[in-house]
Amino acid sequence: MRAARLKAAATVGAVALTLTACGSSSGSGGTASSKSTLTVAGVIAITGASDFEGQNQAGGILPAIYAINKAGGVMGHKLAYKGVDTRADPADALPAVQQMLATTSNLVMVAGPGSNSAPTIVPVLNNAKIPMTAVAGESAFDRTKDPYFWRLFPPDAANGTAMALWAKQKGYTRVAAVFGTDSGSQGDLPGVVASLKAMHIPLVANISLTPDQPTYLSSVHRLMAAHPQVIMTESDATTAGTFFGELKQLGGLVPIIGTEATFTAPWITAVKGALGASTFQKDFTSLITAPSSKTAAVTAYEQAVTADKAQVPKPWQSYLNNPFSITYWDGMMCVALAMDAAHSTNPQVFNKYIMQVANPGPGKVKVYTYAQGVKALKQGKKIQYYGATGLIDFNRFHNSFGNEEAVGSSGGPQPVELGIITAKQIEAVPVVGVP
Amino acid sequence: MLDTLLSAVAFGVVLASIIAIAAMGFTIQFGLTNVLNLTYGGVMTVGGYAAYLAVSHGASAWWGLPLGAAAGSITTLALGHGLLRRFAARGTKVFEMMMVTLGIGLVVDYTLQALTHNNISQFTVLQSAPIHLGAVIVTPTQVIVTAIGLGIFLGLEALLRLTRIGKALRAMAADPALARACGIRTRRVVIFTWLLSGALCGLAGVVYIINSQSIGYTSGELFLPLVIAAAILGGAGSPSGAVLASLLMGIVTQVVSAYGNASYSTAAGFGLLVVVLLTRPGAVLTKGANEELALS
Repeated sequence: MRAARLKAAATVGAVALTLTACGSSSGSGGTASSKSTLTVAGVIAITGASDFEGQNQAGGILPAIYAINKAGGVMGHKLAYKGVDTRADPADALPAVQQMLATTSNLVMVAGPGSNSAPTIVPVLNNAKIPMTAVAGESAFDRTKDPYFWRLFPPDAANGTAMALWAKQKGYTRVAAVFGTDSGSQGDLPGVVASLKAMHIPLVANISLTPDQPTYLSSVHRLMAAHPQVIMTESDATTAGTFFGELKQLGGLVPIIGTEATFTAPWITAVKGALGASTFQKDFTSLITAPSSKTAAVTAYEQAVTADKAQVPKPWQSYLNNPFSITYWDGMMCVALAMDAAHSTNPQVFNKYIMQVANPGPGKVKVYTYAQGVKALKQGKKIQYYGATGLIDFNRFHNSFGNEEAVGSSGGPQPVELGIITAKQIEAVPVVGVP
Repeated sequence: MLDTLLSAVAFGVVLASIIAIAAMGFTIQFGLTNVLNLTYGGVMTVGGYAAYLAVSHGASAWWGLPLGAAAGSITTLALGHGLLRRFAARGTKVFEMMMVTLGIGLVVDYTLQALTHNNISQFTVLQSAPIHLGAVIVTPTQVIVTAIGLGIFLGLEALLRLTRIGKALRAMAADPALARACGIRTRRVVIFTWLLSGALCGLAGVVYIINSQSIGYTSGELFLPLVIAAAILGGAGSPSGAVLASLLMGIVTQVVSAYGNASYSTAAGFGLLVVVLLTRPGAVLTKGANEELALS
């Protein structure tokens, strides 16, 4: 066991070192004022079953660091990435983060944490006064008072409401929910249930799946007996592959609406394999954070991913429209511009500038790239960073999320755009009872 | 209501077939060597990947079964006879040996993770219309999986009862010292047991991925607790006991899934294990506190 732990630690260390090398220069022990390298820590699952979270992050944060460094860095300081592996498990995440805090010089920001470890890690980072751009959908953070918590990502409840709105638009009147019992998969379920109730759409079956069982036949049978017209779902990839494969074999397959988390390569690979490509393309829809229209911010993001493709996980093209990666990109840009606006690399100083450089306001100049933002700030202007995810408008709980988009699978890396659910539509649903 | 029960029982039998193949191999090896072999999950995955590679390179799914069995046999023999025997020769005790197997199992898992880049691979070998048996709907895949499980059980029983090597294996499992005194070539029997156990383990891995239609580096590991539970519930060294225990666990988990919250299904299966162990402790570790490892 000890050997295994050592092996795991060695693996994590190797990955972390690799990812660190993916940034520009390595961190030095000097002070920020001596133009030393600033560290951006990625607190995310780098290994283990949820390692795709780390890949999603690398797909956005590494190009962001590349673009900022190419523009001269933050006030002359280069940025470097340091991977901190949570393995999507709070028990692994906590000591890893504590070690990071104890040993990392010039730490200016944390990218992450993700859903599973966020409830444990967010208070620790907040106490350490390190700004974080979390990609955690837990509703507990909808009204957080942690000043260093920032979320450019829709809360799970909003994603659930968007799914219900899409079902209503498509005319479905009998909905089944199929969600994994792991905490990461459960996040959207309360939003789905409450939103369906608010829209008077019957939830005819609510099936829980214990992950990674060899068969889900009885659950499949229960689902079929309820005769749903559509299934709303999230579970890990293996579980989904087995469940939907059995559902198809027993002749019970109906259209599937997945959460944002289902629009990831492992999930799509597993379920597409189980259903067959043509059936999957016909029956699968996912609700994801709507990408911005083709602005200069999107172009800058795409150019950076392309230019930094050697560092980005393979296939690098898949991150061009990965909503998680784009969110990390925008989070990094906001923090970097906040440092420039505050003329400080001290997180306790620049943290309150994050909202100032991102939110719209009177007299602000809209900027789409880091270089544009720096130039405007040097000219003494107030700026609004308009991100690759679109408009960023943090509320007083440091949450910002925009429209959601229904997308399908095209068979290639580019999704098929099916429709938009606007933030206003989501807010208009009188959802109650979501914790 | 009755339809649901019948379906749950049928699905329980399908699940039991998968558990039973692995549990039979596990219990034979455990009964003879007294090694609680926690590499078993990893070896199942190795067997599954052997079949996956064969099928993905154009081989028929049927070839996946012997190839998976062969991969399981070779891996288990290498680990058991090549590695664990050395620990036994040094006087390693039962608990220490269990920890050794846990470590080796993790090495197998991490190696598979590195080789597969943590990807989940699809293994869809049979897609055809479901079969309606009254109120019960099953797929041809499930019928095949059940038939394979039944066939392996009958074949194993015949091997153990009708062949010389089978009788030698049972004799050694009952009393290694006496078997040795009676002239049984115990080393040969141990090697055969590793091979047989590994073959069943590899087969179980193939059948598992045929049913679940996907394979990842943790596939076998996640299945291992059910296998060990069935083997313990059925009594060490008893393939028929393992089959019966697998049926019990399979049906209980599926009935709980059908009537209650599926989240409790696995808990119900292990709850059954605890109840049986409390009321029938003889089912566990039939060798009692015997610390001898019959590996050499």
